[in-house]
Amino acid sequence: MDIIESKSWVEWLITIAKFAFCFVPVLYILLLIPMERRGAGFMQDRQGPNRSYIKVPYFGRIRLLGYVQNMCDGTKLFFKEMFAPKGASKFLYYVAPAIPFAIVFLSPCVIPWFGPMVFEWGGKVVTISGSILDSDVGILLLFGFSSLSAYGAVLAGWASKSKYSYLGSLRTSAMTISYEVCQGLSMMGLLVLAGSFSLTDIVSWQEHHVWGIVAQPVAFFCFLIATIAETGRAPFDVAEGEPELVAGYHTEYGAMQFGLFYMGEYSHICISSFLVATLFLGGYSVPFVTTETMQAHMGGSLAILCWVLAFLALAFLHMMHRYSKKLAASRQSNKNVILQEYKLYKLVGWVAALVFIAAGVASWMFYTPEMAHTAAGVNTIGTALGTAAIHLLVLVVKSVMFCWVWIWVRWTLPRFRYDHVMNLGWKIILNIAILNLVVTAVVAKLLGGN
Amino acid sequence: MIVLDPNGEKLSLMSLNVGPTHPATHHCVRLLTALDGETIVAGVSEIGFMHRGFEKMVERGTWQQVIPYTDRLNYCSAMMNNIAFCRAVENMFGIEIPERNKVLRVIVNELSRINDHFICVAAAFQDLGGTTPFMYAFNPREEIMLIWEKLTGARLTNSFARIGGLYRDSYSGFEGDVLAACNSVEKALKDLHACLDRNRIFLDRTVGVAKISKEDAISYGWTGPVLRATGVESDLRKDEPYYDYETYDWDVVVGTQGDANDRLQVRLAEIEESVKIVRQALKRLAPGPVDIIDPRIRVPSHKMAYQDMEGLIGRFKSVYEGIRVPEGEYYCGSECANGELGFTIIADGSGHPYRIKVRSPSLAHVSAFNYLVEGLTLADSMATLPGLNMIAGELDR
Repeated sequence: MDIIESKSWVEWLITIAKFAFCFVPVLYILLLIPMERRGAGFMQDRQGPNRSYIKVPYFGRIRLLGYVQNMCDGTKLFFKEMFAPKGASKFLYYVAPAIPFAIVFLSPCVIPWFGPMVFEWGGKVVTISGSILDSDVGILLLFGFSSLSAYGAVLAGWASKSKYSYLGSLRTSAMTISYEVCQGLSMMGLLVLAGSFSLTDIVSWQEHHVWGIVAQPVAFFCFLIATIAETGRAPFDVAEGEPELVAGYHTEYGAMQFGLFYMGEYSHICISSFLVATLFLGGYSVPFVTTETMQAHMGGSLAILCWVLAFLALAFLHMMHRYSKKLAASRQSNKNVILQEYKLYKLVGWVAALVFIAAGVASWMFYTPEMAHTAAGVNTIGTALGTAAIHLLVLVVKSVMFCWVWIWVRWTLPRFRYDHVMNLGWKIILNIAILNLVVTAVVAKLLGGN
Repeated sequence: MIVLDPNGEKLSLMSLNVGPTHPATHHCVRLLTALDGETIVAGVSEIGFMHRGFEKMVERGTWQQVIPYTDRLNYCSAMMNNIAFCRAVENMFGIEIPERNKVLRVIVNELSRINDHFICVAAAFQDLGGTTPFMYAFNPREEIMLIWEKLTGARLTNSFARIGGLYRDSYSGFEGDVLAACNSVEKALKDLHACLDRNRIFLDRTVGVAKISKEDAISYGWTGPVLRATGVESDLRKDEPYYDYETYDWDVVVGTQGDANDRLQVRLAEIEESVKIVRQALKRLAPGPVDIIDPRIRVPSHKMAYQDMEGLIGRFKSVYEGIRVPEGEYYCGSECANGELGFTIIADGSGHPYRIKVRSPSLAHVSAFNYLVEGLTLADSMATLPGLNMIAGELDR
């Protein structure tokens, strides 16, 4: 009971609510799949999937910019028959796809989603950390989880009793091991600078000094390459290299088992992009503004945030307006159906724009410094929550940017040959990473003396 | 799988059966490989999964009825096969086709070549994991396909040439469409070169892979772009010119190394040459007849058949009995997209071919496949196969 009473109910609420962050990678799958499919279409001079629709009264066929297609595909995968090939090791075969997907729920625990919340509640100053588990060895835990997900591929390849799967899993295991070494060593320089394994400390170091990408540009590129390789995406998708290995370790999988691998891959991208953003792009910190400045002008900060969102909504409206004008002038046979559909998007755009503008004005006018801070100068809960929201949004924007890098790279580059991947990992990136670490350590010792 | 090597040493190999249906084989071909790790120690390729009995089927019909079968040989450039066959039969008759026909055949030939090379390069990229260049190559190809639709009414197995003529004259607006297609082909070439020329990953995977010497390539009977990639300047359009190819201003593209990269680069460069030829041919395209006037060879048009007694008889005879090709044995090879497509024809003077033997370029290319990939890795073999542009339609016939 002492443990329960040691914290007030608000603290408990926030601490428990933080577990919701475990589901962020799953939500990202919903974002990433359409982003990848339409992004690929964008890069390849084609449309991407955009035909499935839901019928809505008045507005007609709503395709949600192609989003409905993904729902249909998901539903199809979900209702297909689960199937195991003859001679497969049944237990491992069924368990394997769940492993990468289960790891997905563990990895977000150590990522700091916002700066430590400090606020006054019930006459006491309360501090709540920004990650679910503020561990001193956070980054090591994250790597541990990340390498566990390789077990999924290895077991799947082994249990399928197919030579293609087997070759694929061999390639995966070798590649995961070699690129983990590169990944670990390339960010070591940053750890030397920050002096901590805790992700929260690393972010706060970047907030008060410079972003990791400026302090460690070489490490950033090594880390990015190693991380892309770690997720097993093109150009490093030798494990599922389509022409030679059919689909690599998941050749024999269908239905939702395949879906789990697929979702596992996308969540891995999500976690990796959060990691890159956290390590090298200042994590949750807002560029050029310290948290203290932001909290001192909380009303203004919130207003700017709302207006940025309003601007995005207006940009969306502008895009829709241009599309409609072009469509109305064209001779497309189904243009009336599409124009009717666009009316809904425009409505949503207008509502969002107005709401955001109003919210911005409201926070600008009514969120006074008296509401933001107590007499002692400590934040109120409102300010703390507002800061956390801004931090979270900033982190999400940064990570989505890196997600796009993943998609961009995948649709640009051809696949490596397996031994070339190994050469790149062991002979080039690893050496650069070690050199970077040595130079960083020497320079840090000479300059900082710590 | 434990095997003994020639020296009596025990080797532990894994047999891997690639195909007949496998993402990399594109069509149906089976590659049985023995792997040591990922290295192919030995390989056997098995062909014939798409055997339709072309050579037997054509003996049953009349000479004109062979033409639609030839579409199915190399279906990526179907009309080239028509033209090659029609040219063979026309040469047996010893007739000269009208000027406009020749120019139209040249345009169709070269656009087909562009199409075929684009598919080959696109498929090679796809197999190397580059899906975006694949699409870059397919967009201009689509424009050419639209021209085919307007010209022949079909997209894939379209037939246009007839013995002594063409199915029809070009439609109005043909020249404009072809010019527009040429422009987008050139734009796509620029994009493709940007993706391909300096891409480290791509070069690492293709340069020096599956090299073959001039002598070996010739001894395997290679022809066409794959032979030219080894440095042999051999092109039937220059060596035994037909359809006035020698009067156009173009060059034979030759590679230097004969590796997987050269085979793709030669194809891309040939597309450029083909565009050059098409542009010149468009300028030569003067109005005039496309068919020869000889009811014994070219079926009289509907107009003549309905208004003229001789026309009706000619049409009836050539449909029911077939045209009478002079007796004899004859070989005629044409430079098709993949290499020399030759027809050895034995005619017995009746309305039906007695025997037609096809010399398909793919067969010669694929026969060297195992020689090329032994000692390379599995991934290398997948960089090699699309470069040979194996088309099962003409491989298995």
